[in-house]
Amino acid sequence: MSTTSETTRAPSALRLALNPDRRKILYGFIAAIALFVIGDILKPGFASSSGIQQILEVSSFVGLVAAGQTFVILIGGIDLSVPWVLNGAAILMVAVANGSDSNLAIGIAVGVAFGVVCGVVNGLGISLLGVPAVVMTLGMNGIIQGLSLGVTHGLTCGGCTKPPPTALVNAMTGKTLGIDTSLLIWLVVIVIVTFTLSFTTFGRRVYSVGNSQRVSHLAGVNVKLVTVALYGLSGLFAAIAGIALAGFGGGATIGMGDPYLFQSIAAVVIGGTYILGGRGSYLGTVAGAIVLTTLVSVLLAQNAPDYARDIVYGVVILVILLIYGRQRGET
Amino acid sequence: MLEGAIGTRGRGAPTPRVGPRRSQVVAQNASLVVAGTLLVAMLVLYIVLYMGSLRAFPGTFEAASITDHAVPLSLAAVGQSLVILTRGIDLSVGGMMDLSNSLAALKLQGGFATEALWTVIILLVGAAGGLLNGLLVAYGRIQPILVTLGTLSIFQGLALWVLPSPGGHVAGGYTGLFLNPNAPTALIWVVLLALAWVAFRRTRLGVQIFAVGNDEQAARANSVPVARTKVIVYVLAGMLAAGAGIALATTTTGGDATGGDVFTLSSIAAAVIGGVSLFGGRGSAVGAIFGAFVLTLLVDVLFFANIDPLFQPFYQGLFLVVAVGASTLLGRVLVRRR
Repeated sequence: MSTTSETTRAPSALRLALNPDRRKILYGFIAAIALFVIGDILKPGFASSSGIQQILEVSSFVGLVAAGQTFVILIGGIDLSVPWVLNGAAILMVAVANGSDSNLAIGIAVGVAFGVVCGVVNGLGISLLGVPAVVMTLGMNGIIQGLSLGVTHGLTCGGCTKPPPTALVNAMTGKTLGIDTSLLIWLVVIVIVTFTLSFTTFGRRVYSVGNSQRVSHLAGVNVKLVTVALYGLSGLFAAIAGIALAGFGGGATIGMGDPYLFQSIAAVVIGGTYILGGRGSYLGTVAGAIVLTTLVSVLLAQNAPDYARDIVYGVVILVILLIYGRQRGET
Repeated sequence: MLEGAIGTRGRGAPTPRVGPRRSQVVAQNASLVVAGTLLVAMLVLYIVLYMGSLRAFPGTFEAASITDHAVPLSLAAVGQSLVILTRGIDLSVGGMMDLSNSLAALKLQGGFATEALWTVIILLVGAAGGLLNGLLVAYGRIQPILVTLGTLSIFQGLALWVLPSPGGHVAGGYTGLFLNPNAPTALIWVVLLALAWVAFRRTRLGVQIFAVGNDEQAARANSVPVARTKVIVYVLAGMLAAGAGIALATTTTGGDATGGDVFTLSSIAAAVIGGVSLFGGRGSAVGAIFGAFVLTLLVDVLFFANIDPLFQPFYQGLFLVVAVGASTLLGRVLVRRR
């Protein structure tokens, strides 16, 4: 795994194009395709175009949340506040929109702003107060959970039980420009995030901070600003996912964000992003999200019980990590 | 997260190399004093609020109730602390508690012999789960947070397999071990746990755990068996989590395959509030026990302060962030003073 020996040898073009990090992304997509094939063998019609589209649609919500998670994990952080930022944004959007299409824009704006604010507060606590990311985001999750439940009286307030505006529901359950809306949103996010990480100064700073905060600081990178921005982005993506999910599922419910904590972290890690930061990409996370969702769908198609799904989840993550998530040996 | 460690240790001027050991001792005890002060403050607040709302001094029933609720969290938090001291984290605590809780509710009945046998078996299940964690961390060289995220899911699945729906019960005689509504007898377990830690801390293994957590490279260079130490730590944490699951089953007198889930995060919170540094090598299990009691008292304080239970997570989250933020700032001030 040592990169120095590979660079000292004359690298072939293929070697260069397929550095270890890119290879992981490739493996991810190959695994996803393999899972589709297995699913189709076990249950014919699994990999039909509508079947694939359905699975991708479900993956898109994981993928959206995992976009933010990728950002913070790239600097060696983690965002445990994702479940309730997502949930809180969904509740806010539904309550502010109050079931009418004319209020939808304000509702979405308020929901998204809420997500960004939560994320920024996380970032400030971590970079200025020096609270460990695990503790800060864990606390934030509780804070938003308590506020959401308390203020809405357990989601029984007038506005929050209303269905989301029909315009949003129609958009999220229908198609825009010929493809499912959630997929379209995801595609846009994939393009923007990948471009940001690969081709902008900000992206380079993210990797730089992830590799060494101290060196980045000495090189003139405003480490605190980058940290705050990334947690803000994580809040933003969780909020977007929450709003999209509320439209897709026809309302905001208590606990709707809970599954996304485990899945977003798993998607990032399966996608080959290094948990201590500095290495990884969003395309890998995309592959991770698809692999994870497809795997669950295969199991569901086999009528596997809940407990089997949990066990397989865990085993798959560990096996994938054993294959390529290992740290270099201590020598 | 590791980078953060550097950030909090020495900002600004490089600290002189002369007295790091003394400063570490100061830092260690300071966090324990802070945790103890927090516990006393919480206790005073609890008594004041209790007297305000019930016009009476809390009696043995209240003491027993608090202790009974704090024992499972104390056990889990001590296990979590051991792992955190080696610069790891154990997210599988909740899953292991689910599993042991389910097993306990199904098997801990039918006479002394079977109950004793199954207690041992459940603890061994915990040890086996911990062994899996430890091997994957130490020899699989996967980050602890990821290993235990994976095993968390596996343990949760196994718990659901053992006990698909909440139910079962623990024999009455057995529950008396942990649950006594009349007197805080469960305090014995807490005291034993604290004493065991104080003794353990000075053993070879105890010192090795701190060595690994403070500087793995240096520990290895000083012939500390790093991998073995880590494996043992995870095994101990697994056993403590299994014990916590049993205690939970007795205090709730039944089993729930998801009842332990919250303990993953609350055990981390208890350890951190108790002054165990997430960056490894600093802290004490006694602090973690303090943290567990602080968190348990907090629930009662919120209750007697007439706060809508729906807001409870808000105050718990706020408390966690403020407590840790304040102690981090305090630590910085202390470091700067020297």
